[in-house]
Amino acid sequence: MGKVKIGGGQGFWGDSNDAAVHMVRHSDINYMACDYLAELTMSIMARQKLKNPKAGYARDFIGMMKECGKEAYEKNIRVLTNAGGMNIEGLVEALAAQASEQGLAGMKIGYVTGDEISARIPQLLKEGVTFDNMDDAGDFGDIKDKVFNANVYFGHEPTLDCLKQGADMVITGRSTDSALFLAPCMHELGWAADDWDNLARGIMAGHLLECGGQGAGGNFDYGWRDVPRMDELGFPIAEVGDNEFVITKAPDCGGIICEQSCKEQFLYEVHDPACYLTPDVTVDISQATLTQAGENRVRVGNIRGREKPEMLKLSLGYHAGYKVAGMLSFAWPDAYEKAQYAADIILKKLKRRNLSAEEIRVDYIGVNALHLGVAETDPEKLKDLNEVVLRIAIRTLTKEEAYKLVPEIAPLQLNGPPGASFFGGRAKVQEVLGLWPCLIPRDAVNLESHILTVK
Amino acid sequence: MRIYLNQIAHGRSGDKGDTSNVCVFARKPEYYGIIAREVTAERVKEHFGDMVQGEIIRYDVPTLQGFNFVMKHALGGGATHSLRLDSLGKSMGSAFLRMQIDVPEEEIK
Repeated sequence: MGKVKIGGGQGFWGDSNDAAVHMVRHSDINYMACDYLAELTMSIMARQKLKNPKAGYARDFIGMMKECGKEAYEKNIRVLTNAGGMNIEGLVEALAAQASEQGLAGMKIGYVTGDEISARIPQLLKEGVTFDNMDDAGDFGDIKDKVFNANVYFGHEPTLDCLKQGADMVITGRSTDSALFLAPCMHELGWAADDWDNLARGIMAGHLLECGGQGAGGNFDYGWRDVPRMDELGFPIAEVGDNEFVITKAPDCGGIICEQSCKEQFLYEVHDPACYLTPDVTVDISQATLTQAGENRVRVGNIRGREKPEMLKLSLGYHAGYKVAGMLSFAWPDAYEKAQYAADIILKKLKRRNLSAEEIRVDYIGVNALHLGVAETDPEKLKDLNEVVLRIAIRTLTKEEAYKLVPEIAPLQLNGPPGASFFGGRAKVQEVLGLWPCLIPRDAVNLESHILTVK
Repeated sequence: MRIYLNQIAHGRSGDKGDTSNVCVFARKPEYYGIIAREVTAERVKEHFGDMVQGEIIRYDVPTLQGFNFVMKHALGGGATHSLRLDSLGKSMGSAFLRMQIDVPEEEIK
């Protein structure tokens, strides 16, 4: 029975490259897939590309390939990534130039275009696509003129196509994270596109790997103190065969692979465990089992799949106003009381300037900025805090309104309660990027696979 | 006796837009029944109060001695809109697990 070994090389755009480089050097993986895209990432990349047409992809991936791309190619480890973001060709061009400099002539870079469909929205509206918000958050008519990206979450098909054409590396835009892992399984193990149980296993192997370190002892609530060598945290590797798969990690690195570490990642960002929807298959993990099968090895069983959903998920990014947050720190004694007093001063000043805000939020870091309403409220415990940071945030429709907060923070060092300290420089007004998830028919999307051979 | 849920459970939180999910697992198999009994969706809703504006659904996964709680309108508008410091709800898991429950002492030896 065949088996394929796939590593998860990246958890998000901005993650460390160390574990990816380590697994290329020290493990016997056949593939490495690197996920760079969180929900918001495409919108940020769309904004970057608007300012600079050459930007709009995860540049970090070029750095990773500079470090370990040559070795991966020479060891026949194929690398797949959605780092292309909003500018797939831009990334492919940069990678091809670098590979050429590294002497990798002949290397085949596969890439997938067509997931960004904002230009086609008017036509799709005419064809009767309604773009109804999946979270019931308003009417599409209100945002349709503010859309700046529209990306379809697509499945394994075009990525598998690249692999079939002999790609040594595959670059995509908004491929689902898990499809980057499923495609190699299908390619190596010959799974059919309606082999639902196996497809579901491939997706869940990807799901356990797509967050990098979080699948190997990072962000591990069960027992973070017991995770060995977190400074050299390895990322997880899946050994996938028919009927079951094993999660493990590279030799000689930190981290832990145990039932609990796998459990925490298994249900992460899943909603109904009996009906986890992906473009490739509807996954049922409601009866799944995780069993320790050796040191840093966990066997995953009893995953079921059924027919894939009829529609694809489309995520639109749109302009949704502005926001800004200002901070000021206070020390003992009475740090919390002083911070509250300062907040009151700032709010009064903003009122006097006729601030028009959609939302105003006041938090006290050190008291309740993370746990909000369930944080400790016992006045006796809060009275003697060593320090508290006041944080005031506002969301507005215009940039000018948001800016009203910016000059009001620092002056309180001299004009407010004693001991205030301003840090980090003046706050920056940020654009609010709204997300609009909706569904579209599969035939509204034309994805294309390409191959570029490095010269 | 009154305990924090994190004494018998561990978990992790994630986000999709304004929806937060917290998966919760029994630290020992024998704690699964206690969590199933005590940590109902209604009880969680009461714990979070205004923090979670929408519905809370509990999915049980007995083979993993775990539960998945899906909480809608829970992140102050979600990653982009939210003015919260932790707009992705990374700390929703620990906020969930600081819920207090009453358990007969003999059940948690």
